[in-house]
Amino acid sequence: MSSVASAQAPSKGASGPAPRRDLSGVWAVQPARETSEDDKQSPGGEIPPMTAWAKARYDLEKPGYGKRAAPGGNDPILQCDPMGFPRILYFPAPFEFAQIPGRVLQMFERDHVVREIRTDGRALPEDPDPLWYGYSVGKWVDDTTFVVESTGYDDRTWLGAAGFPHSETMHLEERYQRVDQDTINFTLRIDDPQAYTKPWIALARVLKLRPRAEIRQGYCVASEENAFTKRIREPGAAPKN
Amino acid sequence: MKKLVRPLPLFALLLSAGALYAHHGNSAYDETARVPIKGTVTEFIWVNPHSQIYLDVKGPSGKVVNWGVETNSPGILGRAGWTRRSLKAGDKITIIMCPAKNGQPVAYAGSGDPGTKVIFDDGRELDFADKTVDKTSR
Repeated sequence: MSSVASAQAPSKGASGPAPRRDLSGVWAVQPARETSEDDKQSPGGEIPPMTAWAKARYDLEKPGYGKRAAPGGNDPILQCDPMGFPRILYFPAPFEFAQIPGRVLQMFERDHVVREIRTDGRALPEDPDPLWYGYSVGKWVDDTTFVVESTGYDDRTWLGAAGFPHSETMHLEERYQRVDQDTINFTLRIDDPQAYTKPWIALARVLKLRPRAEIRQGYCVASEENAFTKRIREPGAAPKN
Repeated sequence: MKKLVRPLPLFALLLSAGALYAHHGNSAYDETARVPIKGTVTEFIWVNPHSQIYLDVKGPSGKVVNWGVETNSPGILGRAGWTRRSLKAGDKITIIMCPAKNGQPVAYAGSGDPGTKVIFDDGRELDFADKTVDKTSR
């Protein structure tokens, strides 16, 4: 599939021109050739060395994917705990951007999450109470590039399905560059000195407009997920006879 | 229990395919395998984040085993053209699936593993490809 092979390369304008300062619409992150098993539902790219603090947490995680994958495990999403950001961005369902005065909203299907990105010029809070989806501020740096900074993320979420941790003081910088009507080139930088000894530069990704897709109410319901776990997940994770 | 995943001889094709994008939070399945099972639907559960298809499958010895097949959320299935009424108890179907590695009668079929699909006895097929993708924009 050429779309897979080319997904990492920044996309050039093939459709109509990008509208001015407008990200509105339903977008899908295109699949990228994952460079490692540890990239699933993850920023990807080169994962920097962990600090001792992060390594201790990482050693307690039992992911369902990646080099340490084992059936079962303690991935928080298996009991419908919030997925958090940026992991939810990499979950394979489209999301919608909506722009209203003072805010850009990112609406995700998983748990029908609305992430509010403040655009009223305020600064990030100095010492915020951590939230599942953090605190985010954004601004247009030119007519097609929207830059988001965020922090204050609850540290119980993982940075991907492979169980990489982050701290509450993780700082993210996202750049959404709309290169044409249908395409956003997306980059992400993770600065988290408590957890990683260097910045984590995510794999560059391409987002495509999906005008015919709609965001549904994809709530993860713990009672339903528990029933699924008993009927399918646990039998599938049982030791081989 | 091991013999349960042995494919029926008539359907004993094994297709290998990349499974780079599987996302179902569980490494229990053999995502390199594509194995058909044929049976009668007993339940179709349309819930987040894992819809489920249960079907009675008669094994080579004649014993009927109820299989549970994990599939996608209603959101993903909806964009692939499914509804909550796409399957109902009594439907006779074949599912091309990724079986559990441990031999239990559970499996995955969904958008994470291309090539998995449902085939009705009358030849109709339901797959998991997103129908809202505009091919000209890829």
